Amino acid sequence: MTKRAIIIDDERLARNELKKLLMDYPEVEVVAEAANASEGIEKVESFQPDLIFLDIQMPGKTGFDMLAELDRSPHVIFTTAYDEYALKAFEVNALDYLLKPVEPKRLADALHKLDQVDEKEGLSTTTPTVNRGTLGEVDQVFVKDGERCWFVKLSDIRLFESVGNYAKVFFGPNKPLILKSLNALEERLDDKVFFRANRKHIVNLRMIEKVEPYFNGGLLLEIRGGDKIEVSRRQAVKFKEMMSL
Amino acid sequence: MNSRKKRYWFFQLGGWSVWALTMLFFAYLFEREVSVLFLYRCLFAVVLGIFFTQLLRAVIIRFNWLQMPIEKVIPRLILVMLVISSVYTISQMTIVEALNLSEKVRDPKLNIGRRFLLNSVDNFIFLTVWLLIYYAYHYFERVNKQQVDTHRLNAVVKDLELKTIKSHINPHFIFNALNSIRALVDENPERARTAITELSNILRNSMQAEKMETVPLENELNIVKDYLALEQMRFEERLKVDFEIDEDTLDQPVPPMMLQTLVENAIKHGISKQVDGGMVKIKSDFNNHQHEIIVQNSGRINGSLHNEGFGIQSTQDRLNLMFGDKAKFEIKDIANNIVEAKIILPVDE
Repeated sequence: MTKRAIIIDDERLARNELKKLLMDYPEVEVVAEAANASEGIEKVESFQPDLIFLDIQMPGKTGFDMLAELDRSPHVIFTTAYDEYALKAFEVNALDYLLKPVEPKRLADALHKLDQVDEKEGLSTTTPTVNRGTLGEVDQVFVKDGERCWFVKLSDIRLFESVGNYAKVFFGPNKPLILKSLNALEERLDDKVFFRANRKHIVNLRMIEKVEPYFNGGLLLEIRGGDKIEVSRRQAVKFKEMMSL
Repeated sequence: MNSRKKRYWFFQLGGWSVWALTMLFFAYLFEREVSVLFLYRCLFAVVLGIFFTQLLRAVIIRFNWLQMPIEKVIPRLILVMLVISSVYTISQMTIVEALNLSEKVRDPKLNIGRRFLLNSVDNFIFLTVWLLIYYAYHYFERVNKQQVDTHRLNAVVKDLELKTIKSHINPHFIFNALNSIRALVDENPERARTAITELSNILRNSMQAEKMETVPLENELNIVKDYLALEQMRFEERLKVDFEIDEDTLDQPVPPMMLQTLVENAIKHGISKQVDGGMVKIKSDFNNHQHEIIVQNSGRINGSLHNEGFGIQSTQDRLNLMFGDKAKFEIKDIANNIVEAKIILPVDE
């Protein structure tokens, strides 16, 4: 199965070099190139690639900033010349990174790793979602909070909490802030999985451990990890409806 | 005699002289006259005092009591002081009796035991005063020495830092350059060949820079030109370069890799952050009998100047160390989106 890839790097020569290296891999098709982050966002949104090769240091916005602006992150292989600091920022699960000049063997390993991830996920992410509007459970998002970054699968997120114009994302032991309103998130999230419990919270239905009746016809949800979320009366009706199906 | 010893004897003799004068002063105050016998007694007291305090000092030095923690040293000192002041008193009384230096017929109630006790207390107090001065002196000396040591250490650290800074070429640059060269090998082999030469020039110079205090500006400019050529290969049309060099300044001595660091900063913080790129301009001229080197780049100083200021701080430090207040360094925003870094150096005639 061919993978559609985009190369994002501010240096033309660096893009050329990578393209040349990728010629040995007919299963990877470079569908577009971008020279900076804003161009990158545009191309990613219109081409919906399976994979991007992303330089970290670019003019304007960095590669990290760019990812944080994407609704859904494709698989990412970072390419950087030498950037201990940026690589350290990585907490978890970047698919891989390549140091420029790229060693062909390392590129082969990175692509191989990508194949394995795809197999594990049952190929579901490699078929571009037809409906661009909603984010499925297997989609991953890139979260950046200050110096720390994560790739998070939506299915690993148990809760979104509204904090002004920001939303706090709860997954594992982390709760970073992202610059997205809860309403905007609600629109993009799959409503079969993510449920708007009240004005301030969206919960992942698969993460609910306990449901209790609460005042006024509302409900109290206990979520994995111990957080308790109130469901307003109006939403409780909806919740029961969904759950009884 | 070294100065420490001299100072010790100055304090020792001075202290006891003050003691003797004080005794004489009080004797005169109360008795309105000072007898020859009293003078003799004073003289013996001083000689014995010096002898026994020397002994005390020898004990302190022998057992290294200056370094000992205070709670351990105090009981030991009290014991030694008791012994020494007793011996001191006994010898004092013996001399006075033997030479018959006491003038009045004494109050018979003051038997020998009580006289010994009273004199011992007196001597004990004198010894204590001596000891306090001795310890205080050593305490201040130690504090002083610590300060000097700290300063010296700082200087050494700074020196080491400068050495590493001097040879510092951003590895990010080296690897990016190598990557571009690899791409050029097919695209433009001729340019790839020159690029390799340019890169090796830079590496060679940065290694040699460690050994030299200053280099002629011309040498430094050659590295900068190679460096900028390589950056132009990476950034292509995004980087414009301009030189404005007064030929007479080419022989002026400059600290090696200093201009290079500034140009690197200009690229890193200026050009590489701008989507449309920008320009770097390098000027060198005489102004007011001083040598002025200027690096301008498009962009703006952001608030983080001080965090990223490895280059800036080290430039300042190096100039300070080499030229004192004869050299200056400043970096600031000048008109319409241009940052200017300026080095002012003394002119070498």
